[in-house]
Amino acid sequence: MEYAAQQTMNALAFGAEYALLALGLAIVFSIMGLVNFAHGEVIAVGGYTMVAFAALITANPLIIIFGAVGACIIASLALERVAFRPVRYADATTGLLTAFGVSMILQNLFLLLVSPRPIAVTSLYFLDWPMEIFGIRVSSLQVFESVSTVVVIMALMMFLRRTKLGLAMRAASLDFEMVRLMGIKANRVFAMAFMISGLLAGLACIFIMARRGSVDPHLGFNPVLKAFVACVVGGFGSLPGAVLGGFLLGAVEVGMLVLLPQEYGGMKDAFVFGIIGLVLVWRPDGILSPAQEKGDKL
Amino acid sequence: MLKIENLKVFHGPIEAVHGISLTVGKGKCVSLLGPNGAGKTSTISAICGVASCTGTIRLENVDLSTKHIEARVRSGISVSPEGRRVFSNLSVEENLILGGAIRSDLPEVKKDVGKWFDTFPILGERSRQPAGTLSGGEQQMLAIARALMSKPKILLLDEPSLGLAPMIVGQIFAMIKTLKAEGMTILLVEQNAHQALQLSDYAYLLNNGQVHAEGTAEILGNSDSLMAELTGIT
Amino acid sequence: MTLSRSQKRGLVGATLLAFVLIAVGIAASWFGSRYQLRFVYGVYVNLLVVLGLQVFMGNARMTNLSHSAFMGIGAYVAAICVTPVAMKSISLPDAPWGLDSFELHPIISAIIAVVITGVLAFLLGLLIVRMTATGATITSLAILVIVHSIFLFRTDIFKGNQAFFGIPQVFSLTSIVVLSVIVVIGARIFRESRWGIQLRATADDEIGAAAMGVNVFHVRLIAWVLSGVLLAVAGIAYAFYLGTISARPFYFNHVFLTLAMLILGGMRTVTGAVLGTFLISFGLEVVRWLETGPTLIGISLPEVLGLSGITLGAVIVLTMGFRPLGIMGDREIEDFILKK
Repeated sequence: MEYAAQQTMNALAFGAEYALLALGLAIVFSIMGLVNFAHGEVIAVGGYTMVAFAALITANPLIIIFGAVGACIIASLALERVAFRPVRYADATTGLLTAFGVSMILQNLFLLLVSPRPIAVTSLYFLDWPMEIFGIRVSSLQVFESVSTVVVIMALMMFLRRTKLGLAMRAASLDFEMVRLMGIKANRVFAMAFMISGLLAGLACIFIMARRGSVDPHLGFNPVLKAFVACVVGGFGSLPGAVLGGFLLGAVEVGMLVLLPQEYGGMKDAFVFGIIGLVLVWRPDGILSPAQEKGDKL
Repeated sequence: MLKIENLKVFHGPIEAVHGISLTVGKGKCVSLLGPNGAGKTSTISAICGVASCTGTIRLENVDLSTKHIEARVRSGISVSPEGRRVFSNLSVEENLILGGAIRSDLPEVKKDVGKWFDTFPILGERSRQPAGTLSGGEQQMLAIARALMSKPKILLLDEPSLGLAPMIVGQIFAMIKTLKAEGMTILLVEQNAHQALQLSDYAYLLNNGQVHAEGTAEILGNSDSLMAELTGIT
Repeated sequence: MTLSRSQKRGLVGATLLAFVLIAVGIAASWFGSRYQLRFVYGVYVNLLVVLGLQVFMGNARMTNLSHSAFMGIGAYVAAICVTPVAMKSISLPDAPWGLDSFELHPIISAIIAVVITGVLAFLLGLLIVRMTATGATITSLAILVIVHSIFLFRTDIFKGNQAFFGIPQVFSLTSIVVLSVIVVIGARIFRESRWGIQLRATADDEIGAAAMGVNVFHVRLIAWVLSGVLLAVAGIAYAFYLGTISARPFYFNHVFLTLAMLILGGMRTVTGAVLGTFLISFGLEVVRWLETGPTLIGISLPEVLGLSGITLGAVIVLTMGFRPLGIMGDREIEDFILKK
């Protein structure tokens, strides 16, 4: 019983992290059709900022956390302004390849300017202690992660429903030109999307760092891959789909960990992808995909 | 109010409109008529800032040509575009609120939304429904109401009767007539020449990207040859 | 068989490119050191990959990110078939289904590899060709990741990240030059063929082309499978020269590298594919040399690890930003010497 509850907590925590990551990708994609492969590098920026803060400014973990999230937001906005603005209205392929290229450049810049080796980040260890809920032993980090993800998702929903800019962003994912024809500045909509994306990345960064304890140039690769798979499963461009995909991926991963016998442990990833593959065969556009029109808009 | 001179509109390398000039006086309703492909929608796109063009576009003597789309809307242009283009996943109410996006007085915006619900009860009934579930006529009403939420100086209407049943078309034109009576300046693009001419003070007949004829609605309406050209029957 | 004007020009262009490929091959084998020979061989392998990529991506204008996976499939299948039993007992001790009990002639192994890859491409293609461009790209990325993880984790068949060694090295520079000449001509023929032209029409205007009677899914599928076959050939050429393969080369870095080559040269034309491959391959060698911090005219340059990655990324970003159609754009090589 305890084991089942622990594994459920596990699945929830992983799912929450993947949902956060996937939402970061989905927000940008839903508005400008850009698959932002550089999202992982934004997370890495947060990690390196933690190192810098810890070494140069203060050991106060709260400040380090704020610094990291802030850095992720700034990095994300900078990417929009510098790298993605020229290809803003270009077709999806151009944007995707540009994002790929930016991701490569950033990864190698980290390698070049900081270090090819992992650097330890110890400031966040305090977040991870064993605690008991209803008599079941879980890790506090998992609780934080799940709770804050739910809070963030709810906040995002409120933002998208109640504020003018949030409405504009939802409309932009349907008909961007029409949004501009309402007098709403395109720049502002894009900036908001990337800011939210950066915030989500920053949050994910905190939890990733707390768990890993180190940062290296290729840190962003795995998270962005997981985010990507979650989006694909949930339906690329759909925000609820991203959340669904994230939690589903978490559940499947933990499920595989639990169900596979010990010897096959290393095959977990293959099985996970196999299941994802089956989902794609059943629903090639993802489970909650937004409808795609191929014709001209009259 | 709106003065256009020597407007040439380009779609890529192709010139769709070859240097036309037109004027819309304040409080007047001016029609832009002509068969399919004449360049009417291209003209509207150019005024909005969506299509690339040369020539001058002045709104109340302010030159619009250097302004981006958003800035032109803030200057007082508002459009109900071809195909209505309501935000299909957003509710009717959300569509209207977005229409008033450039205004900073949110309580007044909400009041105006309420006023539209009073004027068109059907919109009020469906206020929380996704706009995409509305019928064609209801969507057109919504598109026009949305365009008016920004309290524009001039309203551009692109083919409001397109794809609508004749009875609904009548309702839409009645709506436009009311707007005109309230003093709204309107530039109306239509293929439905008869109805458009009944509303308009002045009309331009566009064909192949050029103005073939212009004049008051009466003169145009009474000319058989022009009517034949307008309806595309030669 | 009468050829249309563009097909005649295509033959001229293909012949010109063939000359270039042969010339480079001859120069390498006469003047090159052993290291340089290996390097040039690698360039030609990448050329085969980029050509395979061009056949689908350049004509259908849908970005494909799974190409390295198909190359890997072709390489592994051929390797497993051709490697002598004695070798397999060492490198694949746990092989299931009796895979370690036979060895086949290289040509038969190659054929089997091509057929298996082709069938796989066909099945996956049925899914892909119905999607929008973005959906197809995303799915192709999923394919890449799935195939890679299968390589990594069925180590009993593929040996994962460890080297699968013992493949008889039956290929030489001559073989691959001949192969690439054939492929270049083939790619060019496809581009100017009925299917190629129809496919390019769908890229410009999918609905319009369908309205004109083009069976969109059909032509896309043909190109996709052809692309898969060419990629398998590239994989086979890779395995048969190097003698050992592992899962690592068939993943993101390679995808990225070959994509950059196609983009820089210009994805719409076969000439673009060739040009981009040579430019980046040789250019990257120079950058790699700079990375090591060599001494240039007496000045000792610092080590700049990561320069090659930055260069590659910059090439893609700058090309996408300033010249999305690549250097060649819509032009093939014969456009320079023949009148329009």
